[in-house]
Amino acid sequence: MVHEDYKEMIPAHALSTLDGADESALHEHLEGCAECRRDLEQWQAVAASLALSADPVEPSHAVRQKLLTQIQSEKAVSNVVPLKSPQRNLWNSLGSLGQIAAVIIFAALIIAVVLLWQQNRRHRQETQLIEILSSPGARMKDLHGTNEAPGASAKIVFDSTGRALLIVNGLPRPPQGKEYQLWFIEPKLPPRPGNTFSTDDAGRAQAEQHMLAQDGDYSVMAVTLEPAGGVKSPTGVMYLRSDY
Amino acid sequence: MANDVELLKAIAARDEAALAQLYDRYRVILFGLLLRILNSREEAEDVLQEVFLQVWRRAADFDENRGRPFTWLVTLARSRGIDRLRTLGARERVATAGARDEADAVSDAASDAFRSEQREAVNNALAQLPDEQKRLLLLAYFDGLSQSEIAARVGAPLGTVKTRMRTGMMKLRQLLAGKGSDLGFD
Repeated sequence: MVHEDYKEMIPAHALSTLDGADESALHEHLEGCAECRRDLEQWQAVAASLALSADPVEPSHAVRQKLLTQIQSEKAVSNVVPLKSPQRNLWNSLGSLGQIAAVIIFAALIIAVVLLWQQNRRHRQETQLIEILSSPGARMKDLHGTNEAPGASAKIVFDSTGRALLIVNGLPRPPQGKEYQLWFIEPKLPPRPGNTFSTDDAGRAQAEQHMLAQDGDYSVMAVTLEPAGGVKSPTGVMYLRSDY
Repeated sequence: MANDVELLKAIAARDEAALAQLYDRYRVILFGLLLRILNSREEAEDVLQEVFLQVWRRAADFDENRGRPFTWLVTLARSRGIDRLRTLGARERVATAGARDEADAVSDAASDAFRSEQREAVNNALAQLPDEQKRLLLLAYFDGLSQSEIAARVGAPLGTVKTRMRTGMMKLRQLLAGKGSDLGFD
């Protein structure tokens, strides 16, 4: 495709109605084309004007109250100032050198154990990936980032027994107390929860999952941000989703 | 009275009063949009709250050189609404009959003359589009359908859908040209 082809796709992209392949191709082009990015901003404003064709409606007053209460509680948490540690004199500091050394050795041990555990886990996941891919009926499905994480992507590989591995890239590390959770969404049924996972500093993760026979053909898969440990039905923002 | 850009800057500096002002300014437009997408007051109110929480957390991301606050807010709300619609697994809307009939009256402050004028301009422009173009734009915008889903829904070839949508968008832009600067495009 040439520049003009991409330019023609921009109005549809502003309506977020492009199909997966066109969307990915245009996304790639936009990264390197300032002219098309400027064009997109104009078309996004045209698309946004369609919102005014919906009748304006007053929400209940409770929404405003809940919103402001939640913001105040978030603000209160972010305003917490850590307590200053008591000042120590030189002798106290020298006396605690032994303790510092012990702490350093203990920390080094913990790091070594974590690295070993990560290595084992990676090895186990690589083995599992190879097992899934080499089993009969192995398949793969793509998930792409929503507006919350446009640069994120994921693939889920699965076999006919329901063994599955979700491989994620470019998804920001979740905030403390939160984890990402996979969902299987079948038409007219409540979303079914999958396993939770976190990403590393590079935005990567691999998470084992279990799928039902129909998921490969009929389910949309989505990833939302949820309280750590996961929830029974989605409450958070969607970061990744597969196409229908 | 602070303009929208000033309000977003104040919100980025953690000013709750600025968020309350922005909410008061846009709540009926965004709630109307979300209700049209989700057709459920409960879901639309939940998403509306999420949208403004997102505004609180991400106001610093807004770049006035890349578009208007109106476009940013509407794009954010619509995207959240469509995501919720998909999460609910509801291609057929989450039917709660009469959700809009029971809607409260729009307050005078919210339905200010400026927005009413823009709304009229958009509705007039849409009324001038051929039905087959208008229908496709509205299916994409409010139902979040992809072009191939729209083609299947209306029983038209994908190529025809693409051409009609593009022509419809270009015509809409031309028809709104005089109002474009208010809405955020040339």
